[in-house]
Amino acid sequence: MEESTIALENKNKPVKNSVRAHDRRIAILFILPAVILFLVMAIYPFIYMIYTSFTNLNLSMSGTGQFIGLSNYFEIFHDPLALGSIWFSAMVLLIAVPIEMVIGIMFGLLIRGIKGERVFRLLFLISMMIPGIVFGISAQMIFNYLFGSANYFLSLFGISEIAWFGHAATAQFVILFLDVIQWTPFIFLITYAGLLSVPQDLIDAAKVDGASRWQLFANVEFPTLKSFIYIALIIRLIDALKIFGKIYMTTWGGPGMATSSWSFYIYKVGVSYGWDIGYASALALILLIASAVLVNLLIKVLNLGETLELRKEG
Amino acid sequence: MNKRMVSRILKIVRYAVIILILCVFLFPVYWITITAFKPMSEWNTWPPHFWPFHPTLANFAVKGILPFLRNSLVVSSAVAFISAAISLMAAYAISRYKIGGTGLAGWFISMRMLPPITIAIPLYVIYVKIHLLNTWLGLILVYLIPTVAFGIWVMISFLNEIPKELDEAAYVDGATRLQTFRHVIFPLSLSGVAAVVVLSFVQTWSAFLLATVLTSDSAAQTLPVYLGRFVTGYNIEWGPLAAAGLITMLPPIAIGLIFQRYLIRGLTFGAVKG
Amino acid sequence: MKKYTILMMVGILVGLFAVTAMASVTLSLITSPDTGPSLQWLAQQFEKQNPDIKINVSIVSWETLYPRLLADLRARSGVYDIFTWDVMTAGSIHSGALDLTKFFKEHSNLVPKNYDWKDLLPLAERLGEWNGDLIGLPYYNNTMLFYYRKDLFNNPKYQKEFYNKFGRPLRVPTTWAEAVDVARFFTKKYNPNSPTRFGIALMFPTTHTMFYMFPLFFGPYRRSPDGVREFGPVNITYGDYFTSNGKPAFANKYGLMALEDMKALMPYAPDPLGSDYGQTIEYFSQGMTAMCPQWTNPYMQFKSSPALQPASEKIGIAPMPGRSVAGNWALGISKYIPLKKQIAAAKFLLFATSKWATLHVLEKFGIAPIRESVLDNPEAQKAIPWVKALPAIYQTETFRPRIPQEPQLESITDVYFSEMLSGKIPMTIESLKKLAQKWEKVLSSK
Repeated sequence: MEESTIALENKNKPVKNSVRAHDRRIAILFILPAVILFLVMAIYPFIYMIYTSFTNLNLSMSGTGQFIGLSNYFEIFHDPLALGSIWFSAMVLLIAVPIEMVIGIMFGLLIRGIKGERVFRLLFLISMMIPGIVFGISAQMIFNYLFGSANYFLSLFGISEIAWFGHAATAQFVILFLDVIQWTPFIFLITYAGLLSVPQDLIDAAKVDGASRWQLFANVEFPTLKSFIYIALIIRLIDALKIFGKIYMTTWGGPGMATSSWSFYIYKVGVSYGWDIGYASALALILLIASAVLVNLLIKVLNLGETLELRKEG
Repeated sequence: MNKRMVSRILKIVRYAVIILILCVFLFPVYWITITAFKPMSEWNTWPPHFWPFHPTLANFAVKGILPFLRNSLVVSSAVAFISAAISLMAAYAISRYKIGGTGLAGWFISMRMLPPITIAIPLYVIYVKIHLLNTWLGLILVYLIPTVAFGIWVMISFLNEIPKELDEAAYVDGATRLQTFRHVIFPLSLSGVAAVVVLSFVQTWSAFLLATVLTSDSAAQTLPVYLGRFVTGYNIEWGPLAAAGLITMLPPIAIGLIFQRYLIRGLTFGAVKG
Repeated sequence: MKKYTILMMVGILVGLFAVTAMASVTLSLITSPDTGPSLQWLAQQFEKQNPDIKINVSIVSWETLYPRLLADLRARSGVYDIFTWDVMTAGSIHSGALDLTKFFKEHSNLVPKNYDWKDLLPLAERLGEWNGDLIGLPYYNNTMLFYYRKDLFNNPKYQKEFYNKFGRPLRVPTTWAEAVDVARFFTKKYNPNSPTRFGIALMFPTTHTMFYMFPLFFGPYRRSPDGVREFGPVNITYGDYFTSNGKPAFANKYGLMALEDMKALMPYAPDPLGSDYGQTIEYFSQGMTAMCPQWTNPYMQFKSSPALQPASEKIGIAPMPGRSVAGNWALGISKYIPLKKQIAAAKFLLFATSKWATLHVLEKFGIAPIRESVLDNPEAQKAIPWVKALPAIYQTETFRPRIPQEPQLESITDVYFSEMLSGKIPMTIESLKKLAQKWEKVLSSK
């Protein structure tokens, strides 16, 4: 086998240069549709956004669109509403995502190797496939003040009803809760795959040695799981910045700014209340930078060059 | 003896915890499902009805849902197949010719991560100028961005699994690069294509924000947008709304669960083989 | 699978073309949910009389309608031919809406002989004007009403109990201060004998609803002799939020008192900060509250609710304890569509605001009439009980701003009021002044 490949390479050598050039042309041809798509659909809007972020463009006002320098960016720091929504987005990242990680990993460990594993896995994955909008609808019913089942469950324990959407803390709880319900299965899916890839002989060996469940997890499973956890965590962090549909369908960012996420505030400023495009672009650009930082982290963690064998040979 | 008791109790606790978690996580789905079958008198009751006492199918005669269902089907399937084609081609170039290297691939993945709200407004302004507002084509084009981005990654990981010796062998046999692609690579990468099709379909089906900004009526609006405009209405008809919600969530659940094995690789950009 | 999809697509396309080819003009009409069903019905009637014109009605929520419409008019894309617009957005949509006075002068042959311009209520018509242009024909003369449970207020048992508690007779409140006692009386938590769980269904969510609820409470102060002396008479362009010369008029003790009045009622309302009209309508429909400030058109839902039967005995309608707020809608035509379409659209507008249409949409859909003759019509007064009450309410109702910056002011204000009512930021004149500063900034920047 080895001999034959070497022979092959030798045979090809004289024509290599022209083949390379021809190959390159084909390669470029193949990659062209994707590049054009991204250039037209994402880069052009991006340039437009940078440009408008320096103007006061507003669709509800005539005669706007003048260059106003960095004013929009300074405005962000003086706008309690913008800071409030950045804060809520941070809450999603810092509270919901860790909870998703813990439950997701835990559920994988719980069902691993017991009767009914396949069924449990299937059922748990369902909520991941559901559009966020549908979650919003069911939350409106479940957390209704007078007819909702959430308050009904509380009443069974003698707790009087809670105005879920009427208090900052409970409204935030509802949104975070929905996010956990929708995305924990995603964490589970990835970390569970990691769990399955732990070599069985290692587990058996540890059991023979009389390792406790915790020792088994810490010493055998976790080392394999680690890279899976990183991948899941970072993808989730980036996606958590996009939270929008559930808020749109339930609290509309309220009460006050309690549940207004960054994406939602941009929508409110830029679309829903009068198309203040200049300011919305500045806000969007900051969001873009935040997610770009996370994406770069992801690429490093995935060790992109190696996992996908992208480095040029030789 | 004592030890066996303990392990039995632990097992029961384990099942109890699993079932409790499942109940909480499936409750929203359950509630949508039962409300879809409840007659009007049961939408808002105290105590709430935990199953429809008088089940009805009347809610499914949702007025005017068909155009939205059609739009969702057209846009999602078009995105699914086009993104599979574009990403297969791009992935072939990257996997076999190492074109662009890490930089280009990194750029592609960042497109998948782009928060939709950031491009929504500029795209709106552009779409007005080129008359793509409220059209299928307009929606298909925007939804190709995230799907092609992750599609490329997924395809690269699949193509890397096809031994390079195979294309070399075909090449030596006198096949051109294009013939190699068509007769060797394409048949072997079909499961990758399927993964991209499935995931693109599910993602596009659920997408909401860009559709809500870039469409205006039943000519192009998709199901989630149709659902989205009801909650702020005067009269919330929970039954028909839940029925529409059920219709919206069934296809992605069915497809997602049937093609479960493609999910992991798709969602992790090929990094986890599953 | 793919083949099937393509076949289906082709089939649908062919079908669509076939339908559109038959009608020579197809108009697209965008409307909010409250006027949606009535306009759909009118469009059907209109198509019967004018087979050459087809009208597609699309219904979208307020939050979607306004930005959609504004963007369409600004971009001059002419996606919507006819639109209903909330009269408070007059300033921002003005540039894209056809001036109907001029248009009907040029095309006077379109106006039917029996149209009777003089019959249109002058205030409703004025709200469709901006800078002297008539940019919309009045369609829905909406205003806020005070719904209450007639059977409970008239019940001798509760009258007696109320008298024993408060030393005055139980009656429909005429001020918000009075409303607090009544609301308390009808809240189970404070009065175990109350027949309803809560006294009043209120909606103070962080949406545009908050922006029209505040004038109900601020109006009485703004329009009081003191208020008028301090801020001048109310200008229909700027509305009650402003002084007569366009400065914010709420950052003072009056604004604070209005918020305090709102806050005082909140303990007797089910989740006021988390409820919007969908929820409050449901709460009152289900007999959970004794009172409910609400628009004209939800009466149709109350009337058909099983918990409120017989409706004539259970649903009472009174003027708002403070003041009502105008919620008018007008029908406009885009400037950026071909003349042929404008003419067809104008025909529909005249049809939809005719005496016949006004009467029928009132009876069928509870659309508050824009014509004097319909308000006076005994048949109409019999069909919908609030018709009789309306003329008096129109006299005293408050207005929201109609200037172009209105949506931006609104989006800031909703949040500030919500945070003050929920206690997130202190309910003080200082906080109101901060909000006013934000307003000044929006007003001056452009």
